[in-house]
Amino acid sequence: MKKLFFAIVLSIGILSFNSTAQTAETIDASRLFGSLTARHIGPALMSGRINDMEVHPSNPRIIYTGTAGGGVWKSNDAGTTFNPIFDDYCQSIGAVTLDPNDPDNVIYVGTGETWPRNSVSIGDGLYKSVDGGSNWIKMGFENSERIANIIVNPSNSDEIYVAVLGALWSDSEDRGVYKTTDGGTTWEKVLYINQKTGCADMAMDPSNPNVLYASMWEFRRTAWSFESGGDFSALYKSIDAGKTWNKIHNGFPEGQLGRLAIAIAPSNPNILYTVIEAEEDLRKGLYRSDDAGENWNQLNNDFGITVRPFYFSRIVVDPKNPDVVIKAGLNGSISRDGGKTFKSLGRMHSDIHDIAFDINNSDIIYAGTDGGIYRSWNGGTTMEIVENLPLSQFYHVSVDNAEPYNVYGGLQDNGSWYGPSSSGGGIEARDWNSVGAGDGFRVLRHPKKNIIYSEMQGADNVWRYDVDNKLVKTIQPLPVKGNPKLRFNWNAPMAISTHQPDRFYMGSQFLHKSEDMGDTWTIISPDLTTNNKSKQEQESSGGLSVDNSGAENHTTIFTIAESTFDENIIWVGTDDGNVQLTTDGGQTWTNTSANIAGLPKNTWVYHIEASVHDKATAYAVFEGHTHGDMKPYAFKTSDFGKTWTNIITDDVKGFARNLQEDYVNPNLLFLGTEFGLFITLDGGNSWAKFTNNMPAVAVHHIEMHAGTNDLVMGTHGRGIIIIDDISPLREITPEVLKEKLHFFTSKPTVMKDQGGFGSNFGTETQFVGQNPSTAAQIKYLLPKRHTFGKMTFEIQDMNGKVISTLGAGKSKGINIVNWFYSIRQPKTAKGKTFSFGGFTSPRVKAGQYKAVITKGKETFEHVFEVVYDKHSGLSAEERELKFNTTMKMYDMTEELAYIVYELDAILDAVNKDNKKLISSLNSLKETLVITTGDNYVGSAEPQLREKMADLYAKIAGSYDKPTSNELGNLSIIEERFETAKKDFAKLKKKAKLDDLVLKSFDEFIKE
Amino acid sequence: MKTLKLLFVALIVSFSTQINAQTADEIIANYFENTGGVEAWQKIEGMKMSAKVNQGGMEIPLEIIQLKNGKQMTVINFQGKEIKQGVFNGEVLWSTNFMTQKAEKGDQETTDNMKRQMHEFPDPFLNYKDNGYTVELLGKEEIDGTETFKLKLSKVPMIVDGIEEENVSYYFFDTENFVPIVVQSEIKAGPMKGQSSESKMSDYQEVGDVYMPFSMTQGLKGQPGQTIAIDKIELNPQIDDKEFEFPEEEAVETTIEEIK
Repeated sequence: MKKLFFAIVLSIGILSFNSTAQTAETIDASRLFGSLTARHIGPALMSGRINDMEVHPSNPRIIYTGTAGGGVWKSNDAGTTFNPIFDDYCQSIGAVTLDPNDPDNVIYVGTGETWPRNSVSIGDGLYKSVDGGSNWIKMGFENSERIANIIVNPSNSDEIYVAVLGALWSDSEDRGVYKTTDGGTTWEKVLYINQKTGCADMAMDPSNPNVLYASMWEFRRTAWSFESGGDFSALYKSIDAGKTWNKIHNGFPEGQLGRLAIAIAPSNPNILYTVIEAEEDLRKGLYRSDDAGENWNQLNNDFGITVRPFYFSRIVVDPKNPDVVIKAGLNGSISRDGGKTFKSLGRMHSDIHDIAFDINNSDIIYAGTDGGIYRSWNGGTTMEIVENLPLSQFYHVSVDNAEPYNVYGGLQDNGSWYGPSSSGGGIEARDWNSVGAGDGFRVLRHPKKNIIYSEMQGADNVWRYDVDNKLVKTIQPLPVKGNPKLRFNWNAPMAISTHQPDRFYMGSQFLHKSEDMGDTWTIISPDLTTNNKSKQEQESSGGLSVDNSGAENHTTIFTIAESTFDENIIWVGTDDGNVQLTTDGGQTWTNTSANIAGLPKNTWVYHIEASVHDKATAYAVFEGHTHGDMKPYAFKTSDFGKTWTNIITDDVKGFARNLQEDYVNPNLLFLGTEFGLFITLDGGNSWAKFTNNMPAVAVHHIEMHAGTNDLVMGTHGRGIIIIDDISPLREITPEVLKEKLHFFTSKPTVMKDQGGFGSNFGTETQFVGQNPSTAAQIKYLLPKRHTFGKMTFEIQDMNGKVISTLGAGKSKGINIVNWFYSIRQPKTAKGKTFSFGGFTSPRVKAGQYKAVITKGKETFEHVFEVVYDKHSGLSAEERELKFNTTMKMYDMTEELAYIVYELDAILDAVNKDNKKLISSLNSLKETLVITTGDNYVGSAEPQLREKMADLYAKIAGSYDKPTSNELGNLSIIEERFETAKKDFAKLKKKAKLDDLVLKSFDEFIKE
Repeated sequence: MKTLKLLFVALIVSFSTQINAQTADEIIANYFENTGGVEAWQKIEGMKMSAKVNQGGMEIPLEIIQLKNGKQMTVINFQGKEIKQGVFNGEVLWSTNFMTQKAEKGDQETTDNMKRQMHEFPDPFLNYKDNGYTVELLGKEEIDGTETFKLKLSKVPMIVDGIEEENVSYYFFDTENFVPIVVQSEIKAGPMKGQSSESKMSDYQEVGDVYMPFSMTQGLKGQPGQTIAIDKIELNPQIDDKEFEFPEEEAVETTIEEIK
């Protein structure tokens, strides 16, 4: 009856599932990912950009940080380690604020980073948690794009102010200061200037919540220019809780203003500091007011104070001393004389964005930089980095064919790196290798040689690094006679060829080709961009503070893709919207972008994927966020760009930057957007967001490893994230979804013999990247989660003998069960202590095995194969010898266990007066197993059990065949065992316990 | 007959969820109803679970005993030797040290925290109000490809490093049959503090008059875990109280003897 119930429930589930699958022409992947899980490999050693720091008002152990692209992290141990608490939501953070009335529980997060460099992401509103970050609710502000501050009235939790800096690349009416008096149910915009001017900083008088200061900033970025400052930038004060606002400029410089910071000394709210971006260099810098903003005096205009106001306008005052002031900046500056003079903070990663003082001890300082968080214990003199924040911001990612393969990529302000996809004990900081300076972008490994190409911003340097010989040279294309100035993007494209290993492409406005790894260059195209001169005036970019870093270089080539079918087919995409194609190696070019319906003109071509399935097919991903257009765009052509089809649906959230085509199933595509990874199983008819250990982080680039089928993502804020072996996704079809249980095909798995040593100490607080599983993975699809009734999973040999029982996966969708090729450990004789060798589970022989799933009445079987590791170089005979020797000792161990069991039983049963026999039995036992001591330094002299098990473990655990020394040792043990068995047989006879009921050997082993 | 009732309830409820919002108490009531009824649950005085864990090829047999008066222990069998872990007699928490194989007491804070939740057997939702717990329905969430109700269970606060902290778990009840399939809670103490643990339950089967999960997979939230497969659950087992008592050390002299 019970089974009937399960069957009915199950069939109802399946029926409804099928009907939905059949009616639509799509394969909805959203609930099918099951236990397909992403793993994070960091790196964290260079960490990534921090936007905001927040300390708990009464518990100095608790610190929060809002990061530029990696979400919100919380430390419970005064900044020693951090944990992410905001993974399901937008990872670009502007501000994190605790409700001072309930700081353990109530947290506000304003999304969208507020130091708007060219590469910033976007926010999507305000969030609140009432349980310390376990759960979050959205509080509106969807179009705010970036939130600079959130302030909760310290005597009224329902009164909250939100500073909306707003859109970076477009006009917006959402900017300004907002207020709620009902805990966020309704909001009133209490200060608004215009569509160009947002609130960049805000402060509340700690002694009077009606007194507020707000700095309003007129700013705008385009893809090719940045403007900071204008007539509307100003510092405002309200003394009536935001009802009215007045400019407080007495003592301010004349003319236009730019970005202003505002800070109140917590220990004396009349003392204010502001840093002013002004027209005249002399009048820029730090200003102080001692009368709550009535009058201002300029104190300092050092470089450290005035540098890049858009990036560093933050002042933090010591909570106890109004004269100790820290200004964010290139290095960060601290003043101990009320702002008159400054010195740099201790050496740390440059670009300091925020500072927090410990609430009790101002010698303890936390600094948020472009390279993570640093701690100081001595007032900022020396700084040490937090080692477990994997916030690395990759622009690009590539892989090689090494085993394990390496991952390459460049980072925002953190150079270029490569590291292994797996490493002994996990992927640690020490596994990563630096291969470039400055900002890093694309890093490519030569297809055949141990040579790495890397670059820095604007292709100022393109390096060719001969790894074996440690030789570095720069190879960037230089203009020669007849060339105009070359325009390289900040993130300049490079490409290698699958046809000619030494070929190397770079893109300026032209496509450059080298056949000798960058030593000589040929231009093989005309200017492929729009060459719009009005977008090429970067020397005047920046507004009141010139900021010509190269970050705004525009009308450049951004992506290059050579077809794997034909080296003469090359696709090129430009940052100003051209999709150019040559089919004759560059002699003629066609701009196909006019053929794309529904795409706004000049939308940045972020990526072109030349299909590996069809010569005429390609995908193009566009993104228009630098025009204020946040929609995702991806199109497919199957006729060399003559026509393009939109493959984006409403399922996709966030603008898209990259697309990866599967190498086997042309309908399986992966799309990286600003809010995570999306997958389609039906060529783009529907998309599903992948969320299994995958944060909603900006995915800038995706690569697939052809050998492992791993999907490798370069994220801009959470480092490298890998989904191991996505091959099950290839097999999901409407037919497969109808099966009661579908086993996915599996390649033979190698029983790896390779080992090594992980590091032990000194890395306790470091982030360690997860390794892939080395187990045989049995993968299957369930149409519905298994919740009721028994479901078991066995590994059997081909004769049906059970080798191992494992926990079955029960999730709807893809399930993955790991089997470590092992037979259960031998039953080992009972002694006083443990025989550690006896805990060894031997490996099976290579060959075919069966996974057998029993689910209710039904049984499902799948045959798979495991093979030996070639690295150990053993012949078939040597493998046989190793296996047979191991199993011989396994059997001896169990035989000894049974003898000791029998002996103990006889000791229990024998007449207690028979002291001689008891003594003989005990003497024998003392030679069989350890009968005294403990498992540590109190251990006794090893006996037969220990010697046998240790040798067994040594042979079973070695990659190698048994050595003659080991076999020699084995023969001593065998001899001793034979003698012991004879001695025991004699004593057993003497005991004359014919009636004693003992378990049989089999019963004993199986109990 | 009970199974028919179960089926009926499950179907009706799965339809009605489309229309009516559920309250946390309705979900809990449905859970107990679908798994045997509150009365049957109230009758459970104790249970002994025989289970197996497979750790990288090594099969470890476990016995988990929990009684209504808060007494509990886990017994691991290694090479014929019984190692007791997490033994609690209502007052003292202790475990066998693996090195010395002798009993050692748990720290006082952990012991005190055990005492604070010793009345939640056999299920924290049974009599949760009497235990001073609160529940809150947070909404629906998809987990394991399955639609669930997410319930927040707040137990009596616990003490962590000398500071009182909330003790919260999130239970995910399958919307179709109302049994919990996943529990998540924040790790409150130790170096993993701040991360979330996750247990997934399945293989609900009849034990006496109730249904209990026979498979539990435990690990960190969102990551593959370790499965405990339960072979047998014995209800109301006879366990000698002495088994839970801390064995007072009588071997001080012997130790000196051994050193000599």
